[in-house]
Amino acid sequence: MPERLSFHIKRDSALHHLNPLTKLLLVLTLILTAFLAPFYWTPHILAVLFIPLLSMLGKVGREYFSTAIRLILPAATFLFAMQAFFQPVGEEIIFEFYFLDITRESFLFAFSNAMRIVVMVSAFTIFLLTTHPSELMSDLTRRGLPGQFAYVIISTLQILPQMQAKAQTIISAQRSRGLETEGGFFKRAGALVPLIGPLVFGSLVEVEERAIAIEARGFTSKHVKTSLHEIPDTSTDKLLRWFLTALILASIGLRIWLS
Amino acid sequence: MNIEIKDLRFTYPTGLEALKGISLSVNAGEQVAIVGQNGAGKTTLVRHFNGLLRPSAGSVWIGDWDTSKYSVAKLASRVGYVFQNPDEQLFSRDVLTEVAFGPKNLGYEKDKVDALVKRALSLTELNDQTETNPYDLSPTWRKMVALASIIAMDTPIVIFDEPTTGQDAVNVARIANVIAELKKEGKTVITITHDIDFCAENFERVIALSKGEVLLDGPAREVLGQEEILAQTYVDPPQLTRLGKMLGLKATVINQEEFLNALK
Amino acid sequence: MAFVNFQNVTYKYPLTKTPVLKNINLQVNEGEFIAVMGPNGAGKSTLCYALAGFVPHFFKGEISGEIEVDGKKSSESTLDEWVLNVGLAFQNPFNQISGAKYTVFEEIAFGLENIGVPRNEMKDRVDEAMALTGIRDLADRSPYSLSGGQQQRVALTSILVMRPRLLVLDEPTSQMDPIGTREVFGVVRKMAEEGMTVVMVEHKVEWIAHFADRVIALNEGQVLMEGKPNEVLTADLLPEKGFGISRYTSVARQAQQQGLWKQKQLPVTLFEAAEGFTSKGGGGSN
Repeated sequence: MPERLSFHIKRDSALHHLNPLTKLLLVLTLILTAFLAPFYWTPHILAVLFIPLLSMLGKVGREYFSTAIRLILPAATFLFAMQAFFQPVGEEIIFEFYFLDITRESFLFAFSNAMRIVVMVSAFTIFLLTTHPSELMSDLTRRGLPGQFAYVIISTLQILPQMQAKAQTIISAQRSRGLETEGGFFKRAGALVPLIGPLVFGSLVEVEERAIAIEARGFTSKHVKTSLHEIPDTSTDKLLRWFLTALILASIGLRIWLS
Repeated sequence: MNIEIKDLRFTYPTGLEALKGISLSVNAGEQVAIVGQNGAGKTTLVRHFNGLLRPSAGSVWIGDWDTSKYSVAKLASRVGYVFQNPDEQLFSRDVLTEVAFGPKNLGYEKDKVDALVKRALSLTELNDQTETNPYDLSPTWRKMVALASIIAMDTPIVIFDEPTTGQDAVNVARIANVIAELKKEGKTVITITHDIDFCAENFERVIALSKGEVLLDGPAREVLGQEEILAQTYVDPPQLTRLGKMLGLKATVINQEEFLNALK
Repeated sequence: MAFVNFQNVTYKYPLTKTPVLKNINLQVNEGEFIAVMGPNGAGKSTLCYALAGFVPHFFKGEISGEIEVDGKKSSESTLDEWVLNVGLAFQNPFNQISGAKYTVFEEIAFGLENIGVPRNEMKDRVDEAMALTGIRDLADRSPYSLSGGQQQRVALTSILVMRPRLLVLDEPTSQMDPIGTREVFGVVRKMAEEGMTVVMVEHKVEWIAHFADRVIALNEGQVLMEGKPNEVLTADLLPEKGFGISRYTSVARQAQQQGLWKQKQLPVTLFEAAEGFTSKGGGGSN
């Protein structure tokens, strides 16, 4: 069983002390600015300068860079290659490879798009690294998000790894009964039937029992819910949220005005 | 068919060293119970017998097969494994199809499959349930379907993982009966269990594991009498063994018959 | 008036043909610790669900008769009010983990958050409950990373922390070793001493005999027997009906036939057996 199910890393940093909603708004601002700002270099500057600084501000630099190298950069590179080769724009060919070629325009287009993706994924990564999921949900619930809705989101996040573990046990049980799970497509597809049945049945029982268990602990109680974690929401938070909202409006405004 | 384990070591990808050098052999036709606290390595050990886990070092031989060279599906013809929770394996619309799944996978001809299924169903008292959907049965009977589905594979070695957990007295007796029948047929039965009284009443040999190593291994009476050593792996001796000790009986007794004989 | 009162309760699940509970009459006094036992399919879990309000409020189906706890009628109450008085923990600990929390401490606080307990009080109550059940060292672990026995302790603690007046437990020790089982029975006994009423489904007869005030033997949806643990647990009727009984009882019964057990009362626990076999010349071979 996995010991840690969230990305959250407990540290004492300025980012950790921000209200979850403020951080969510910061993520949104970064994404919108990267996609909407009319200056070509905006996403690049955000990706190579601002994001790393932000991760260090949150004292999660090491974790962020390791994720970036293992996950974000390879994905962005792939995306860049796809778009650079297959975007049929421009005439000035700068690179040729058999029937594939890259034009100056497609290169620039693909490069900035890849950078936008880097900004988006990185912003979310830093958000997840510095925000406790229960805090986020408690805060959103406090602000009026229905409790049931919050529960569905957060329990789904947790239950997926459990489903995976369960599927693994079922596969083991059926292989022990002589089921071949290796081999050609049809063999693999045929092997799915004995796996899905127990998984679905098990999940139905699980859902019912879990509903009883949380109900027994007052889940639908009409009391106003409280929260174990104190969720910070300082005047800095409020100020920052106004500022971020202004930035978002400015990006949108600038975009409309210039187009 | 013998089981030969030589200096078996296993470390999980998480770095947890679950087995720290286990060597033992099990002869054909033996009835072995494996006991020990949670995390002692019981499940990790038996999952090596049918290839679900591969040794990090050392080897496991089932007859003349080195398990590291055969797939789980291949090893299934020699080692049957009854998982603890029947709901993690049942998928067919009726009991008959469910029980026939294993022998069919092993590639047996229809006549042989039919005969094996019939025998497994009668052993588990499911004769009149062939057309029932397993999920319409009570959990206790689903457990019996799971047992039947492995017994029908007619493997020389059968493993049970915690067979009595969640079962009532009647079903525990049924499961003990199935194990006794398998013994008569000369099968090797290996059971992981927490139920030490069940272990005393149905198994001739007991292996106690602790922290990935063999703590005790021998005839049930010898092993289950070692109260102090068993305490290291949080196992209490059987109830009648403790009573016998309290009464000052000279020999270690492990079941009712022995106890009453010693009293006389 | 008894704290828990079942009057002629008959209940049938929506999709089944026959009733699971048949004309159950049951009274439990405040602070009493009742053990319920019976073979699989006897209706034990359904009885627990009925006490905790899930039958019929959650499962629907047809119910007749009256269920009362603390003077309130189940039929006139809603589930969310009912659970404030009656806590339920059941067998499968894995499915009782809320899935919304990342540590054991948060998991146990979940119920208190739902009913609006202030933060400082919440922390104290969680601490106290964890100390009671001996799981303080698990506070920062993920509930999913625990063993079955540890998860069962978390499930029990999550309910105890809510301080219900009536505690309903359906096989709360099924995945525990002997030490864990003994500790849980001890905790439950302590809660009963402090005035909590407890109804606990269990198979482990030795511990029932040690700790429970009264035993109810349930069979095919009906109360077969009820009374003091030693009367019920040594009754000849139980093994005939497929109940699990103590090995001390069954060996003494056989010894009785051979003239080796000379007491009137059959034993349930090790201590009773040892005492019975040694006194009045029923002793050992040496």
